[in-house]
Amino acid sequence: MSISAISIQNLSKEFHVPFRREPLRAVKNLSLEVPAGEVYGLLGPNGSGKSTTMKILLGLVSPSAGSSFLFNVNSRHVESRESVGFLPENPYFYKYLTGLETLLFFGKLCGLRGKTLQDKARLMLQTVGLADAADRRLGGYSKGMLQRIGLAQALIGEPRLLVLDEPTAGVDPAGSHEIRDLILQFKAQGITVLLCSHMLNQVQEICDRIGVMNRGELVAEGRLDELLSSPNQTELVLENASPSLLETCARLAAESGARVVENRKPHADLERFFLKITRQKP
Amino acid sequence: MPASPKHSLFSPRRVLALAHNTLLELVRLKVFYFLLLFAFLVIGSSIFTVKFSFQNPLQVLKDIGLGAMSIFSWLLGLLCTAGLLPKDQEDRTLYTILAKPVSRFEYLLGKLSGVFFLLTLAVVLMSVVFAGVLGLREQQEIAAAVQNTPPESLAQEIESIRSAAFQANLLPGILLILLKSLLCSTLTLLLSTIASSSVFTILSSVVIYLIGHVQGIAREAWLGGGETTAVLKVLSASVALVFPDLQLFNVVDEIAVGTALPMALFWQVGGLGLFYILIYFLLAQVVFASREL
Ligand SMILES: Nc1ncnc2c1ncn2[C@@H]1O[C@H](COP(=O)(O)OP(=O)(O)OP(=O)(O)O)[C@@H](O)[C@H]1O
Ligand SMILES: [Mg+2]
Repeated sequence: MSISAISIQNLSKEFHVPFRREPLRAVKNLSLEVPAGEVYGLLGPNGSGKSTTMKILLGLVSPSAGSSFLFNVNSRHVESRESVGFLPENPYFYKYLTGLETLLFFGKLCGLRGKTLQDKARLMLQTVGLADAADRRLGGYSKGMLQRIGLAQALIGEPRLLVLDEPTAGVDPAGSHEIRDLILQFKAQGITVLLCSHMLNQVQEICDRIGVMNRGELVAEGRLDELLSSPNQTELVLENASPSLLETCARLAAESGARVVENRKPHADLERFFLKITRQKP
Repeated sequence: MPASPKHSLFSPRRVLALAHNTLLELVRLKVFYFLLLFAFLVIGSSIFTVKFSFQNPLQVLKDIGLGAMSIFSWLLGLLCTAGLLPKDQEDRTLYTILAKPVSRFEYLLGKLSGVFFLLTLAVVLMSVVFAGVLGLREQQEIAAAVQNTPPESLAQEIESIRSAAFQANLLPGILLILLKSLLCSTLTLLLSTIASSSVFTILSSVVIYLIGHVQGIAREAWLGGGETTAVLKVLSASVALVFPDLQLFNVVDEIAVGTALPMALFWQVGGLGLFYILIYFLLAQVVFASREL
């Protein structure tokens, strides 16, 4: 039997807003299971309750109803956080600490110490590409660098589960690619990942399963390939096709009872273009 | 399902990491520059008191020094503590810390311990400056006495100068000054778990500080005259919980005059201070534990 890394049962959260009679229902009766080893993407428009759900999972916010478990330990208990790494949205750390000091601090909170801690912190800085900025204070870090140190901080306790709230927000495309590759690497190591992002193409590349939230409710959930494939369609990309060939194709298709739905020129997407351009720079 | 990973409910190591971090934060915010003011004040008044001839200048200097130490350590504790929680919450560093296996109790204890370290350090530094200035003045006074006093009364004169200078009997008084500032910062921490803005925290803490200094007198005037009923006693006890009798910690006046602090009084006031700190901290924990972040 596989264990659930995350188990959310009938979770609701109401915020009491000053000067308003009825409470704001940020999460409504949410139930969700993420088996260990899976990469799960939580999607939804702004204000749909994704971050709130994550905060409840980590015991930062207490639910109004329902409960959530991490590896079968209720999120209300501190020990549920032993095996989790969390990257909050727009992370912000102590300005007066350097990158290395930040990781040493969080490492200590995870119970590491001595040489293990030092080595681990250096390794994490390297992993997220901040080795050069290790001795600079975070006050001088850019947004993307803060995001990276946030990721390093989430990883330092060697978690079995990673909860990442918009890990690529503010990170440049190359860095965002690196983070994607990192997540795939974690997945290969068997680490469960709960991810929330507005970068749909990235989510598509790395997630096994997604859930879509809207106004606090889970409105769709399933395996990506199941949700997205149109079983009755096939894509065909041709090179150097003459107009007459295309006409022949369309005719043949019509003869066999099929239909050409769309005829367009594929174009390299902006992200790939951006990466190509910026890679040429020294 | 196998048991969850072992987790110690309380880890001194985590608290120490948090305390160290808080201390580092305050030191890197350069709060110690604040103490330069203290040094200027004490050195300045040392020069100024030369002009007093009708009173022992060392006595005056000691009064000023101890009084300033009391106010500076209180103010330092107040200003440092009031910003701790709001800042962590604003920066969302609170999320990152509490998302680690850190309990809110450990977090709060770590923060407060950091402030305690800082205040202890500050009081030690101030005492060193204070003792140094007093010692210097002592030398000058003795030199002047040697020149101006007739030889038959010289020994007595020097003795009286010595007794007015920095002496070991000041230390219990300085410890109580430190304790008072610790008490006031714990109170400030409690207020900051309740309040939503640090301005409110600072203001209410100042008000309680001021009331705490006059409440002893008020109670005396109020209860001292007529007979005390049980209701009044409970009432005055609850007032005393919110407004600690801070005047008790001002044993400074007596010590400055040269009389040593009775040890029994020292332990009594010290115990009371620790008791208040404990109560305030536990209240802060109760509020913080149930607070929405
Ligand atoms: N502490 C709070 N007090 C009051 N309302 C809150 C609080 N936190 C969140 N909310 C409300 O709950 C709703 C859900 O917010 P949440 O941050 O979970 O959205 P989200 O899905 O993460 O959005 P985004 O994509 O913009 O990050 C919003 O309407 C928000 O205003
Ligand atoms: Mg969000």
